[in-house]
Amino acid sequence: MTHVVTDGCVRCKYTDCVDVCPVDCFREGPEFLVIDPDECIDCAVCVAECPVDAIHAEENVPEAMRGFVELNARLAPQWPAITRRKAPLPDAEVWKARADKLAGLAL
Amino acid sequence: MSAFNEERVLSVHHWTDRLFSFTTTRDTSLRFANGHFTMIGLRVEGKPLLRAYSIASANHEEHLEFLSIKVDAGPLTSRLQHIQVGDPIIVGRKPTGTLVIDYLLPGKRLYLLGTGTGLAPFLSIVRDPATYEKFEQVILVHGVRTTDELAYHDLLVEHLPAHEFLGELVTSQLRYYPTVTRESYRNMGRVTHLIESGKLFSDLGVPPLSPEDDRAMLCGSPAMLRDIKKMLEVRGFKEGNTSTPGDFVIERAFAEQ
Repeated sequence: MTHVVTDGCVRCKYTDCVDVCPVDCFREGPEFLVIDPDECIDCAVCVAECPVDAIHAEENVPEAMRGFVELNARLAPQWPAITRRKAPLPDAEVWKARADKLAGLAL
Repeated sequence: MSAFNEERVLSVHHWTDRLFSFTTTRDTSLRFANGHFTMIGLRVEGKPLLRAYSIASANHEEHLEFLSIKVDAGPLTSRLQHIQVGDPIIVGRKPTGTLVIDYLLPGKRLYLLGTGTGLAPFLSIVRDPATYEKFEQVILVHGVRTTDELAYHDLLVEHLPAHEFLGELVTSQLRYYPTVTRESYRNMGRVTHLIESGKLFSDLGVPPLSPEDDRAMLCGSPAMLRDIKKMLEVRGFKEGNTSTPGDFVIERAFAEQ
């Protein structure tokens, strides 16, 4: 099992999750983070840290966002590790209330 | 900066052929909250092989302490069980976790419910004076299969109550309730059964669990966590986490191998 970053993170990247991850399993893309399923130990500490509730245990990923399970697994090997928190994307406050934010991103 | 510190083993104690504990040096820059876990392990063919371990020592101590099972087929513990004093050991620089008293709302009694090596984070918490400032009574329940698996029994019964600084607090506020499932012992049965039947509370002379007065921390097997979480929620307890304190907290990073 693993945890999965979902739609909430897209175009926001608050990165609070990164500081608490004991195994440094977050990977950073230009618009959002993903979790490397081979590294995640399911400790769930990151879940409560995310200000937009974007992280779910794999079995709890909402139906509409099931695609993120595969997306995390596919993108994790391609993106670099992020191990320290940084400033969110400049328009994070604008995007955080929206849904289906993947539309228009090239993945 | 590396994600790990390289420490040295200071002592090893084998409780049984399936259970041991050890202490290590501690980098002076390593900070943690009592109850946290971190990744520890060994270098195997040059690569770090790591698992999550609760830190059993308190953060005011100069060394680190860990409690581990031994699994012959376990990638890490099959090797870790052979460590000797002076051996190198890798310790992650990012301790984390949810079993921290700050993530609990104020209450009268704190229940620390652990099975097997799930005792470890509570050894840190009962050695923290802040625990006794926040709660009037601290009840440590340790469930194991056989009496020889009651690791740290003597620490809890003899050494801590006589401790130079903690002794008074421990003597007046800490209750230790060891229970055994597969042998005859003064307390017998699973922690879940002892809660459900109410025997735990009648033995201790305390009222049944209530979210008004009681708080709980859980550390043990996934099945134990699931069952006790359900029992607490039925009684009106709300789970807390690192951003919202609650009536109980759970550690989900459990090293099975």
